[in-house]
Amino acid sequence: MTSIISNPTENIVECCDLTVVRDSKEILCEATCCVPRNSLTFLVGENGSGKTTLVKTILGLLPKHSGDIAIYSGKGKDSNMVTGYVPQGITFPKQLQMTVTEYLRYSSQVKLEDIEGVLNRVDFPQTHSEHTINQLSGGQQQKLLLAAELARSPEVLFLDEPLSNVDDSSEKHILDVILEIKNSGVTIVIITHDWQMVSKYADHVICLNKNFACDQQASCVCKNSLSTVNIKQIQKLTPDPETTHDGYCYIDNI
Amino acid sequence: MDLMSEMFTTPFMQRALIGSLMLAVMLGLFGVFMVPRKLGFMADGVSHASLLGIAVGIMFGGAPLLWAALVAACIGMVLAKIEDNSRLTLDSVVGIVLVGGMSSAVILMSLTPGYKPELVTYLFGSLLSISWNDIYFLIGFFAVTLILFKLQWRTLVLTTVHGELSSVLGLRTSAAKYFLFVGTSIALIAGVKLLGVILISALLIIPFSAANQATRSLRSSLIVTECIAIGGTIAGIICSYVYDLPTGPAIALVFVALFLLCVIAGKIISRPLLAHEHTQ
Repeated sequence: MTSIISNPTENIVECCDLTVVRDSKEILCEATCCVPRNSLTFLVGENGSGKTTLVKTILGLLPKHSGDIAIYSGKGKDSNMVTGYVPQGITFPKQLQMTVTEYLRYSSQVKLEDIEGVLNRVDFPQTHSEHTINQLSGGQQQKLLLAAELARSPEVLFLDEPLSNVDDSSEKHILDVILEIKNSGVTIVIITHDWQMVSKYADHVICLNKNFACDQQASCVCKNSLSTVNIKQIQKLTPDPETTHDGYCYIDNI
Repeated sequence: MDLMSEMFTTPFMQRALIGSLMLAVMLGLFGVFMVPRKLGFMADGVSHASLLGIAVGIMFGGAPLLWAALVAACIGMVLAKIEDNSRLTLDSVVGIVLVGGMSSAVILMSLTPGYKPELVTYLFGSLLSISWNDIYFLIGFFAVTLILFKLQWRTLVLTTVHGELSSVLGLRTSAAKYFLFVGTSIALIAGVKLLGVILISALLIIPFSAANQATRSLRSSLIVTECIAIGGTIAGIICSYVYDLPTGPAIALVFVALFLLCVIAGKIISRPLLAHEHTQ
């Protein structure tokens, strides 16, 4: 059993001994991790390791089997804090004719006069503002969702593979936006497989290992992958690497 | 002209027109959320299975439609509960409910001695069967439904777009879902005397499906859905009265005709748009 010290001023999200079970299968097992306030935290791990499950459980979209999740706003523990979430590969119902403008007005209650600015922020083409959301490409939908979440001014924003469908020029723009909002005090948590991005921008990394039994000799996917991008120093690795750990390691200050 | 003025002054036609107006508005609105969620088949399942309630009412006395509404509300609640169950698809459960409800109804009716003329009314609808008591009930139900739509509107729209994102926004998605499932089920039963259990789903499914062919925003889709629902119902009732046709089938056929018109209109509207996109 691992436990973490509650420190609302340092951490915005804390999970302690979190276990999530779906269809009788244990997806997360006694996971203990934290997201430092105002950090750019990356959530990495191989497919099926439970990255999206962890984020959805923190957001309350999936039930937890056991353990504790605490979310701290600037004022203390607050379950009503504004959290943002941009899922990966969203599918809008084809039968619903809803324009981009209508989506922003409903989801984030953006005023009509502010629509242009909200879309500009994520480099979304203004000419598409009256297109229906299911006419958009995957990348454009991703940008729209990000724009909608940014318009809500969240304290912590979870992004599931935010660059997976966007083109190269938009990728740079979205990364700039992410860094800009991070610098303005928003905590960002990104699920990714892009190790280059992790090594370049991470303040904090949470690595999930699918096999739940990686040790120093065996193949811990995060250590192997991080080594490929020449990260020489892993300052903190918990639980103790001397013992077989539960599949979660936390790498600070890369 | 005499026939038309007679139609609007005859009490049973007045009741039919007032009732159908409320039903068209309600079921049109429910359709806007049910069809994109691919729950159109649920309308058929609920209305057919509610025959069980009608059979119970006829067999044991009491108001058959109240029994039917009770059965429909229960089915609506069960379907809402199991919607997210990964081991069962909603379609399969609706199929089971439909078969179970109708079979039980037919067996119950076979056990009831004598001819049951009212059964045909519930199967295909009849203008003559709509009473003032039905209208008073409809007014109450209509008012409550509109208030709940007003309160739940944003949640209903966003849960239809994406359930998880609505939950992240802190919206009460569960309450909206139960309102949608149970409200639709009761509204379908409220329309049984107009279109009958066989055809009532037309009023839920066709107006939105037709509007969707020719519109490009939620707002326009909503307006056109309501226009088709109200216009189609009234046109069907008029045809039924003037040409002495069964009401339910007359309304349903008008809806089918309007759907085909909208498909053609949609093709005409989208053609210049596509051409424009190709030139860009």
